[in-house]
Amino acid sequence: MENLNETAPILKVEHVKKSFGNLDVLKDISFELKAGEVLSIIGPSGSGKSTLLRCITQLETVDNGLVQVNGKNMVQPGDKSAPVYAPAKVLRDIRLSTGLVFQNFNLFPHLTVLQNLCIAPVRVLGVSREEARKTGAALLKRMGLDGKEKAYPCELSGGQQQRVSIARALAMHPKILFFDEPTSALDPELTGEVLKIIKKLAEDKMTMVIVTHEMAFARDVADKVIFMDGGVIVEQGSPDYVFNQSGNERLSSFLSRFTKA
Amino acid sequence: MSDLSNLLPILWGGFCTTLAIFGLTLLFSIPLGLLIAVLKMSKWRVVRYPVSFYISVMRGTPLLLQIVAIYFGSYYLSEYSGLGISFDRFPAVIVAFSINYAAYFAEIFRGGIQAIPKGQYEAAYMLGMTRTQTFFRIILPQVVKRVVPASANEVITLVKDTSLAQVIAVTELFALAKKQQAAYASIYPLFVAGVFYYVANLLLSVVFAYLERKLDYYK
Repeated sequence: MENLNETAPILKVEHVKKSFGNLDVLKDISFELKAGEVLSIIGPSGSGKSTLLRCITQLETVDNGLVQVNGKNMVQPGDKSAPVYAPAKVLRDIRLSTGLVFQNFNLFPHLTVLQNLCIAPVRVLGVSREEARKTGAALLKRMGLDGKEKAYPCELSGGQQQRVSIARALAMHPKILFFDEPTSALDPELTGEVLKIIKKLAEDKMTMVIVTHEMAFARDVADKVIFMDGGVIVEQGSPDYVFNQSGNERLSSFLSRFTKA
Repeated sequence: MSDLSNLLPILWGGFCTTLAIFGLTLLFSIPLGLLIAVLKMSKWRVVRYPVSFYISVMRGTPLLLQIVAIYFGSYYLSEYSGLGISFDRFPAVIVAFSINYAAYFAEIFRGGIQAIPKGQYEAAYMLGMTRTQTFFRIILPQVVKRVVPASANEVITLVKDTSLAQVIAVTELFALAKKQQAAYASIYPLFVAGVFYYVANLLLSVVFAYLERKLDYYK
């Protein structure tokens, strides 16, 4: 999709720390991601996965460390303990180059499906209404939702709503797409349709970071897997390494909880 | 029945004043209420505290007193300061009603704004929308739907509250009906005035029911 720069990472995270009060949610997080790669982040609830995602997407601020997106520093370590954030304009540019798919979709309920897809391209990017509608309709088709243009989000199933929210993020042409537990709010029988779409995006070489509890999916879709526990990255590597070879005890005990079911 | 044919034109004149108070109050108090609601949610205390105080005074003292205070207060203030900002009777009523109802609307709107899930702001933020765009295109349309039922209450109360304007001798519907009560030596004109209020509110209820249905296209 994008011209891939093989050497420079599109996302670089170094020594990121974040605490809420006395609770250290992220202790010292570092990893890199290249363009076109898919990263799965797994780990128990409360391990800091979602907070990490929210820090990278600017929904939370970090207490320290470096985050670099698409070659631009979003935040870097400062002189003292406080980190230095980029100027607002740069932060906005970075935000526009990243998309986020929420656990609870967060579609705009008062707008139709197509309006949900068009509002940001038209209002933020200045795309013409006609152009935005065309792109939107094409995206809906890709999501298997053609014919739903005029529906309101409340008229759709959870799986359909999540697919609309993926389309809404894609309509902004993000360089990296983040997923915060995209199937956790769905009925089990609806997760498949969403995961299938994400897999298709992976085949199209969309750069993605996916926080998920779907272990089989995390393994199959990812080029790289990170296992987090207690605010640190316990293991990271290829899916094969993380799921089969690493003998790490915390990881094994975490994975064993999924095989029982 | 000749009574009624004499009475109706007189009361109709008063009703027009009532409608003017009603319409102008809504015109000013709704935008003002929205502004106050936003200020009350400000992160700065220097903004929040005075606004909270204003709301508590407006809700904590009789509107009757506020009308008197605005009318006579502005008169004395302009006498002593020589600024010449005293209000005539009718404008004083409009000012008093507007700032009073704005306080009530502000609390309704604030409730509506705060009931919008945080995720709506986050989604708009991630899509690069500015704060102004987010408020007017994402938040406010959803707030409108949520505040219609509570606002309907206020609006209907306002129709009846207009009768308070008589305290500074504005000849609205109820004041005129009372005058006719003396002339007729009967409370019958008051009941006719009551019918005016009732029919007006009946129409408003229909309008609000329609509005609620109209906004029911999403959940």
